[in-house]
Formats: sequence, C-alpha cells, structure tokens
Amino acid sequence: MAKLLLIDDEEANVRVMAISLRSDGYDVVTAYSGEEGLDVYEKENPDIVVTDIKMPGMDGIDVLKAIKERNPESEVIIITGHGDIDNAIEALKYGASDFINKPVRDDALAVALERALEKLDIKRRLNEYTENLEKEVSKATQELRRQSHFMEKLILTSQEGIVATDKKMKVVIYNPSAEVILGYEPETVINKKRAMDLFPKEVMRLYVARKHDSKSIKKLQWREVQVRDKNGIQIPVRFTGTFLYEKNNIMGSVAFMQDLREIKRLEKELLRSERLATIGQTVAGMAHSVKNILHGFKGGNYLMEIGFKKDDTEKLKAGWDMIQKNIRQTSELVMDLLSFSKERPPEYEPCRPNDIARDVCEILKETAHEHNVRILKDLDPAIGQVRMDPRSVHNILMNLASNAVDACIFDENIDKSRRVILKTVLEENGVVRFEVKDNGVGMTPDVQEKIFTSFFSTKGHMGTGLGLLVTRKLIEEHNGTIDMQSEPNKGTTFIVRIPFERVEGNLVNTDKH
Amino acid sequence: MGKKILVVDDDPDVRLFTQAVLEENGFTPLMANNGEEGEQMVKRQKPDLIVLDILMPKESGIRLYRKLKTDKEFKDIPVVVLSGIAEKSFLRSQKVLTEFGGDPVPEPEAYMEKPVDGDVLAETIKKVIG
Repeated sequence: MAKLLLIDDEEANVRVMAISLRSDGYDVVTAYSGEEGLDVYEKENPDIVVTDIKMPGMDGIDVLKAIKERNPESEVIIITGHGDIDNAIEALKYGASDFINKPVRDDALAVALERALEKLDIKRRLNEYTENLEKEVSKATQELRRQSHFMEKLILTSQEGIVATDKKMKVVIYNPSAEVILGYEPETVINKKRAMDLFPKEVMRLYVARKHDSKSIKKLQWREVQVRDKNGIQIPVRFTGTFLYEKNNIMGSVAFMQDLREIKRLEKELLRSERLATIGQTVAGMAHSVKNILHGFKGGNYLMEIGFKKDDTEKLKAGWDMIQKNIRQTSELVMDLLSFSKERPPEYEPCRPNDIARDVCEILKETAHEHNVRILKDLDPAIGQVRMDPRSVHNILMNLASNAVDACIFDENIDKSRRVILKTVLEENGVVRFEVKDNGVGMTPDVQEKIFTSFFSTKGHMGTGLGLLVTRKLIEEHNGTIDMQSEPNKGTTFIVRIPFERVEGNLVNTDKH
Repeated sequence: MGKKILVVDDDPDVRLFTQAVLEENGFTPLMANNGEEGEQMVKRQKPDLIVLDILMPKESGIRLYRKLKTDKEFKDIPVVVLSGIAEKSFLRSQKVLTEFGGDPVPEPEAYMEKPVDGDVLAETIKKVIG
C-alpha cells in the first residue's frame, strides 16, 4: 500500500482529503504546516507528498526543496491556487511531479496520484535493472578478465611468433617467440613500431582481409618467406597475416610466424648427407661412363695410328674428332661431378632472367635447327631486373632446355612439328617461374621415377646421367623447387620456381626488350 | 671378300672404331644401330660373326642375344660381346631371364669389356672364327 503525506494549513481540507484518499486505499499521514510536514516525512518516509503551496512559515516550494534535498527520488505533488501558473511553474522547476488546482477535485487528485505511483514504480524497476546490470557487468568483467588472462598466457607461451596491431598497424602484441625470430626487444616494438617496420614489403603483401561477416572462415594461408631480424639477417619463416574486421571497419591485424631455421638447417644437412651418399654409391655407376669414354679414346687413337701409317687424312680426322669428343665428355662428366659434390651458396647479383633465357635459346638454336626443332620464347615482360645467381639460373635453364631439345631429337614421329618452349612468369611473392616445355618423346612413369637418380640416362652414350641431379641441386641451393609433368609421346614440361631478392628501390623494372 | 661381321652398337664412335678394326683385318663390316636393326640385318645378311653391345635403345643386346641363341637358324653364329657392362652382370641377367621361363642360352663365344684395344679386338675375333 502506498503511503501519502498530506500537508495543508487548512485542517478541514486535510481531513476531507484524507478521508477520501483512505477510502481509495492509501495509507495517509498528515501535517498542518511545512515544518511539521518535514518532521512527519522524516518519521514516516512516505512514497508521495501532497502539499499546499501557500502556507505561513515554510511554504510548499520550501517543503518541495527540502524533501528533494533529502531524497531526490521522492514524488511531490503541489496544490496551487486557481490560476497561479507562476507558482506552478516554479514548483515544476524544483522537481515537483505534478500540480493540481484548488479547489482540489477528487478525480484530478486521483489522476495525479496515479501518475506519481507509476513514476515510482518505473523508478523502482529501473533501480532493480541497474542493480542487476551492475551485477551482470561485474560477472562479465570477471569472465572477460579470466579469458583475457588466458589469452595473454596463450600468446605469451605460443611457439609461433605473434605480432598484432591496431587499425593504424601499430604493434600492440609482440610475443616472446616473435622476439626470438625478429630480435627486437619488446619495449622497442610495442606501441613504437608498425608492422611495416618489422616485415619487408613482400611479406606485408601477404596480409589478407578476412571479413568478420564472411561465412567462409578460410584456412590460414601459410607461405614460406624470408623476414629480416634486427641485424638485417634473413630468417626463413612460415607466415600468415590477416586484417581483422569489425563489421566493415578494419580494427587491426595479426600475423603468425613459424621459425623455419632449425628445419632448414636439418633439411640442408639431410640433403648434404644424401648427396654424399649418392656420390659414394654411384662410383660404380660412373664406371660405365668412364669405360665408354676410355673406349672412345682407344678408338680415336686406333684410327689416328692407321691414318699416320697410311697417310690417310680422313682416318686421321675421324680419330681426332673422336678424341676431341671424348675429351669433351670427360670434362662434362668431371664438371658435373664436381658441381654436384661441391657446396656452393648462390651468389646473388642483379640480373635479368629473361635475358638468361634468351641466351640459352641462342646457344641451343643451332643444334635445334639442325634437327628441325624450333625453340620458342614466351617471356613475361613484368620480370625486370632481380637479384638471383645468374650462373645457377643459366645452368638450370641450359640443362633443362638441352634435355628438351634432345627429347625432340629422339622423337621418331616425323609428322610432328617439334618444338621447345621457354616460358618465364612473374609469380606473386617474389618468385620467378621458369617452364621448359617440349613436345618430344615424353617419359614413361618408370623413367619419371628415375630421372633424379644419379647415372640414370636415357641418352645412351650421350649423357653423363648427372645433369638433372646437378640441376636439382642448383635449384635447391637457390631455395627453389622443381616439378615435372610428362606423358610418353606427348612431351615433357619442367617447372622451376626460384625466389629472388628484390633490387632495392627498383622493385619491378619493366623489361625493355 | 672377307667374312661378314655385323657390328651392333648405338654409339657411332664405337661403330667407326670397330669398322676400322675390321677393315684393317680384312673383314667385311656390316653396321646396325640397335637391337631391332641388328635382328633385321642378321636375317638379311647372315653374318659370320656378330659384335654386340649391350645397352642400346630399342632392343637391348641382352634380348637380341637371347633371340639369336634360341633360334635354330642363327644359334651357331658366334657372338662377341663388346660392352661397358661387366660380363658378370650380363650372365646374371641371362640367368634371371631363363629362370623367368626362357630357354637356357649358352655363354657368348667371347666377352670383351670396354675399353678394348683395336688389336686385341681383332685377335679375339680371329680366334673365334678360326
């Protein structure tokens, strides 16, 4: 039941109103002056106060002010004289809930009271909500704190280097694993550096947008790249970077790095030991090549002896040619063996891969022409000057292209127009793709399996059996890859991908040729 | 006309060498590029002796040797193998082929592992044809 305090200096009024309000179900307390009203207010703590405005001593406005001071939430209804608008407005200014005119009509009072009660109710409910909300918020905050603590631990102890930024790409998270890779102290990075100060341009390009609302949470695209540490030393990592979106607005970015140094070191060691083992195993295989070469020398020698004896220049010349050819084969074999067994880190220098490809075509043109094989070029003009080891690239292309020409020469299908295509393509992420494609004899799956093993040759007396082995070694030393597709009687395509270092300040020079 | 001697080898230098040796010693050389050509030449020319290489494209010397030595008409033509492959390996491969359901074949009349001196080759051939 709501409690009402009625204040009026006219006792009769108070009594009449009290009777009528009590019959409406209110609990009514009364006072006959402003001062008394305040005393009763303190004692009874009513929900609603109804006070006359004109009273000797404390008037209604004073009572209103005093009550609002004690409890701003309390509802105070002012009774004003008829037409006393100024006072009514004054009262509203001080926070009266409502005012009613004299003589007080029951229905007007009832409406005002109902309104006041409603307001009280709303206020109460609001208070409840607020209280509840505070509880919920504090619970959520606690959970959030727990979660963020968990996340923080997760990030700190992650084996992957994590670099997260705000929307301006300023670094906000830089975990110990990232420090191990990049070498910068956290205090020099967090809030000081931007992602682009840590990663080279080609790595920054790998950041992908992953919209919050896109349904497909795509799999992380890991790429093998080189980053540079504090001292400028290149470090191989697997990298993935993402821009983070909230609705459609970028809110930051995060990048993950896996340190590949140890793996690369092990890979290298494995390659080296494999290669040494191959050399050991294949001394026997080499014997066959050596025997054939020696036999060639004997043949040349025999022909020359006859030539001298009989003064036969034709025999002399045939013998001399034979000896020369076998000298060439000896040096090829020895050079292949040497370059296969020797470790030679690539010597990077500015060069133009397309020019190297052109040179190779030029060198092979004559032989190819003799055998009716056309050499075609399809060179990507977007590849300009890059940093690679031009000697390695030359040897790789030379070997693959001369193999391709041979594959065409060996092809006995006379209806075919035989050709070799040298193609270059600038791929993303600083990689040049070389393709050497022929429509020659092709290889059976059986042969395809063996091409990278030593002293395997389909060229009979013409091959050392080491060419592709050497080629693969050069490619691997250059951190590149080699793939092959082949079909018997259709032809073979070798695909070589070689990463390059960009020439500073001269990212991609358009080819001028 | 000297006796007809067929040389089967894919290496043109070896053919040239053997040819010179044969001519120097009064034989009539015939030339074949690989096993397949060799077989046709044998049928057409009926040589008195065959100088046979082992590793060749198309048909290898191992297979041609087996064909000839199991053929009534040709099994008596003497064969001198001249190859970079060791005799041991050649005999082993023939044994394997026999075990896989082939007829047994005799060992070649002579086996010469490259490198071979011209004079030694000539003497061996003479010894074989008598």
